Amino acid sequence: MQSEMSTENVSLPQKSRGDAAPVAEYIAAIYFTALLTGASFALEALIGYRAIALLYLLLVVALGIRLHRGPVLLAAAASALAWDFCFIPIRFSLHIAGIGDLMMFGMFFAVAMAMGHLTSQLRASELAERRRQRRSAALYELVQQAGLAPDLDSGLRAAITLTENLFGVRGALFLRHPDLTPAKHPHPASSFSLSEKEYGVAAWAFNHRMPAGKFTDNRPESEAAHLPLQVGSEALGVLSILPSADMILGPAEIELLQTFAMLIGTILEKDHLLQGVKQAEILNASERLQRALLQSVSHELKTPLSAVQAGIDALIKETGKGGRSQTTLHEIQQALRRLNRVINNLLDMTRIESGVIHPKLDWCDVGDVIEAAKDLTADVVGSRKLEIALDRGLPMVRTDQALLEQCVSNLLLNAASNSGIGTVVKITARVVNGQLVVTVRDEGKGIAESELPHIFEAFYRGTEARPGGTGLGLAIVEGFIRALGGSVTVANSRPTGMEFVITLPVETLRPDVLEKLA
Amino acid sequence: MSENATALVIDDEPQIRKLLQVLLEQENYRALESENGRQGIADVAQRRPDVVLLDLGLPDMDGLVVLERIRQWSQVPVLVLSVRDGPADKVAALDAGADDYVTKPFEATELLARLRAIQRRVHGEVEAARVEAGHLVIDFASHIVTVGGREVKLTSTEYALLKILALHAGKVVTQKQLLREVWGPNAEEQSQYLRVYMMHLRKKIELPGAAQRLLKTESGIGYRLVVPTSTEAGQS
Repeated sequence: MQSEMSTENVSLPQKSRGDAAPVAEYIAAIYFTALLTGASFALEALIGYRAIALLYLLLVVALGIRLHRGPVLLAAAASALAWDFCFIPIRFSLHIAGIGDLMMFGMFFAVAMAMGHLTSQLRASELAERRRQRRSAALYELVQQAGLAPDLDSGLRAAITLTENLFGVRGALFLRHPDLTPAKHPHPASSFSLSEKEYGVAAWAFNHRMPAGKFTDNRPESEAAHLPLQVGSEALGVLSILPSADMILGPAEIELLQTFAMLIGTILEKDHLLQGVKQAEILNASERLQRALLQSVSHELKTPLSAVQAGIDALIKETGKGGRSQTTLHEIQQALRRLNRVINNLLDMTRIESGVIHPKLDWCDVGDVIEAAKDLTADVVGSRKLEIALDRGLPMVRTDQALLEQCVSNLLLNAASNSGIGTVVKITARVVNGQLVVTVRDEGKGIAESELPHIFEAFYRGTEARPGGTGLGLAIVEGFIRALGGSVTVANSRPTGMEFVITLPVETLRPDVLEKLA
Repeated sequence: MSENATALVIDDEPQIRKLLQVLLEQENYRALESENGRQGIADVAQRRPDVVLLDLGLPDMDGLVVLERIRQWSQVPVLVLSVRDGPADKVAALDAGADDYVTKPFEATELLARLRAIQRRVHGEVEAARVEAGHLVIDFASHIVTVGGREVKLTSTEYALLKILALHAGKVVTQKQLLREVWGPNAEEQSQYLRVYMMHLRKKIELPGAAQRLLKTESGIGYRLVVPTSTEAGQS
């Protein structure tokens, strides 16, 4: 198929077609030369045969302004012969008697040819100039009407109408689907749709980023011409034009159409970019709102809590050690700490659900993260035996240290609430295949297999959960780890207890490599 | 520590101001109050407090701006007291010149310990020849560091790191500041160096099995050399 098409390409004599002169011009050239010859017979007695040469020259120049180069040169040659034959002595013979007349004839021939050539060239460049002007006017109009239209649809409608009026064809647009194939159905502003076969040609033009169909080098037997809406290396759709059966579009027009298609592509791209910007603005605005809301809620909840807490602390100091009010105050203090934890968990959960968590990645010493989590939870987890087993030569990893620390803390708190005092809570950390794996395992009773899938749901509380939790700690772990691009799983472990496994894809850096550098 | 130091509370919540005043007076501070940023700046200038407790969410201007204005002409120790608890908020305040940061709601004991720590630096106590923190003693004159009475050998980088933390004992020091002061201004983003040297430093000075580490990590912010309360009680 491909090779067949390329032989067709070669055989198409497209280049010269636009410049070819119609036969009528040749006839006109002969006709006017004959007419002038007839008139010259009447004038000869008045002006002499030499002046007639000037009349012939005038004719050649006049024809040069109107006609193509071929007919003008024909008129020049015919004039020279007619003048010689009819007027130069010896008359009615091509023979020239005098040396002066022979010279005159030679010069007339040369001047007539030169004049014919020059004037037709002048005309050709004038025509080209006019074409250029028309072309830039058309492009300007396209930019004006389509590019600056208030919305994409009216812009595309204007582009199709303009194409139809300018080229005298019918136009259709096929835009790109999100899945990067051209749409099957034309844009509503189009004035025709394609047969299955023609659609194939349009798709070919789209896929190869080359014009195809009628008047082009690819599949010229088609009914319509198809031009990709190309921007850079991408095609954003196809512009199809359907000419009437006897219409011919030259390469210059096809080229102009291609420029049209490119401009329409640019208009489409402009629209895509604008929509992207708008989308981002909307997202940004909603995120700003979420943040402001969270900040204000956090302020409104925590300010009175701070006042109560400060008041209790002042009272504890004032009442001195011992006594029942001291015990009461300490109970209130404990309750306040718990309330604060609940508020923090609720705020964190809201942050996760509104997607405003943006991890800040930095190099972390995983051992330090675990120690920090241990410090943070010491008041609760301190009554369990904590075993920390880090892989030998554990590298530094790139992650958000604060988020990871909070995840490990929450898992430690969870482990402590699921197991008895004096039992072992074991933490391990290693890096396997570019993934940081942190496990937290307790020696509690574990939970029913049927409850395992729900354990990371917000506010889910196991049937045997102890009082005091918020039901949010594990949901927060899951949310944070997801924000970091990793996952967390849970399973009952043997002989008893539960094991949580955090898996995070991370960049790693071996400390000993660094020491050589430092 | 000098008796009856003056503490200025800049906070728009009257209840917080009142209760902080009670807490501060229990600790023998003379407490002053400002209810907005503009007045706070004026009070710092006119009443010359020894320490400032600054809220970030003020009605007339952001607390960070207040801090920056104060820092243009005053080195008074400033403790930021805010409900904003993200690491980025804390780093922003510390970068703007805050000496330390406590989130609301706060525990009185922690707040007062931080206040003492940031005042100590200004009162020149850490300009003394040595700093003690639990089992750790750093002698600046002789460059000798002892842990539980036994001398430990530190490399020059480890010593430089420990010295900065000790000069700010009890205060958080941002990661950026540590990197800048030990490795130079071009190393501010090279946190990996800091992690490695902190790892080494901890191996040498932390006692295994201690209830609390001396070098505390403030995730996403920096590090703090903890001065255990028993030492503090001994000092005052």
